[in-house]
Amino acid sequence: MGSHVFETMGTVVSLAIADAPGVADAVTAVTRHFSAFDERFSLYAVDSELSRVASGQLALTASSDELRSTYASALRWRDDTGGAFTPHRPDGVIDLNGTVKALAMQAAADELLDRGFSDWCLNAGGDVLCAGNQPDGSPWRVGVVDPADRNALLFSIPVDGSRHAVATSGSAERGDHIWTATAIDRSYLQVTVVADDIETADVLATAIIAGGPDALASFVERWSIDVLTVARDGSLAATPGLSAALERLEPGIS
Amino acid sequence: MRTRATLSGIFASVAILVVGWQAGTAAVTAATGGPTASTSTGSSSGTSTGTAPAPAASAAPTTTAPAAAAPATTAKSGTFTGSDVSTPFGNVQVKVVVANGKITNVTPLHLTDNGGRSVQISNYAAPILRSEVLSSQSSQVSSVGGATYTSDAYLTSLQSALDQAGI
Repeated sequence: MGSHVFETMGTVVSLAIADAPGVADAVTAVTRHFSAFDERFSLYAVDSELSRVASGQLALTASSDELRSTYASALRWRDDTGGAFTPHRPDGVIDLNGTVKALAMQAAADELLDRGFSDWCLNAGGDVLCAGNQPDGSPWRVGVVDPADRNALLFSIPVDGSRHAVATSGSAERGDHIWTATAIDRSYLQVTVVADDIETADVLATAIIAGGPDALASFVERWSIDVLTVARDGSLAATPGLSAALERLEPGIS
Repeated sequence: MRTRATLSGIFASVAILVVGWQAGTAAVTAATGGPTASTSTGSSSGTSTGTAPAPAASAAPTTTAPAAAAPATTAKSGTFTGSDVSTPFGNVQVKVVVANGKITNVTPLHLTDNGGRSVQISNYAAPILRSEVLSSQSSQVSSVGGATYTSDAYLTSLQSALDQAGI
């Protein structure tokens, strides 16, 4: 088992994949996907396409298809979440940070699958997307950090079935990096969403942080997701599917 | 293992249905007047599981089993269908099977959200104790999730430790 680590998008990506012919090339290709998204969408790089749109140098209508389709997709998420998720900063600037990391992860996943790699686990700054199993045949197991103690795990779950993605949102690490079109709800310190795909998991984790319990109650009925929340007082709540996954984790089963 | 997980899911669903069950109880109580009880209004004051508020329900039951028409002096048996009960998750209608005055089964008939669509009600997030999840830490993990960390924060993160261990 190899762990391939590279820095991108202001964070670090770790790819766990068994050593095999072609892995090095695949890792290079994966790295390129992240770089491509970062170069186009970073608001930290003043010459990125999105920065030029933000500064008015480039009209949105003259921007690339990739930028406009990514923006359109983010707007659909805004509408679908009732504004809890939004691609607009309070000052009106288009900020696609809420989706581009997930899109890069999905592009990386497609690249790996296209190259015939069916067993790997990709972690981009704390969001996790896995395929297949560990080399010993057991499911990949994702632990989630306790927001009260970043050196401790809060819980861990196997990633199996169709649920490949585990995204966590909160204010523990980067501060409140969350934009919302609605009044921000302060109920949750951290929200983990388990979903079939990483974009859904990532967007809804952010939207539940922003929208609070009302958003959670609404989203669990509309999307096939499982959720674990950590409230400001440290108390936990989990959807039945996630509780069931936790209950499967008995010593010896691993 | 799979079976157990499935069962857990079922039990979790049943737990959520306590909201509906309370309404069902009210319905059965209201039904003791006989079949004409469908005109009465039961008030449900059930304490629900988790943080789900008690349903602000007006359970006006209709009896569907002939046995329910038995003289009021005998214990009731039969199948009772509650009216729609409003919950924060939409409207729930439950069917309650009663044998000799005891509820033997509660079945959700349907749940619709505020937009009128039928939905599952098994997804509700219920409180869990930290002690319930702590046992999961005994298992080795492949990857560590969390709120997005910076490149600097990664250096002292659990994921970094995992990567260095080459797991």
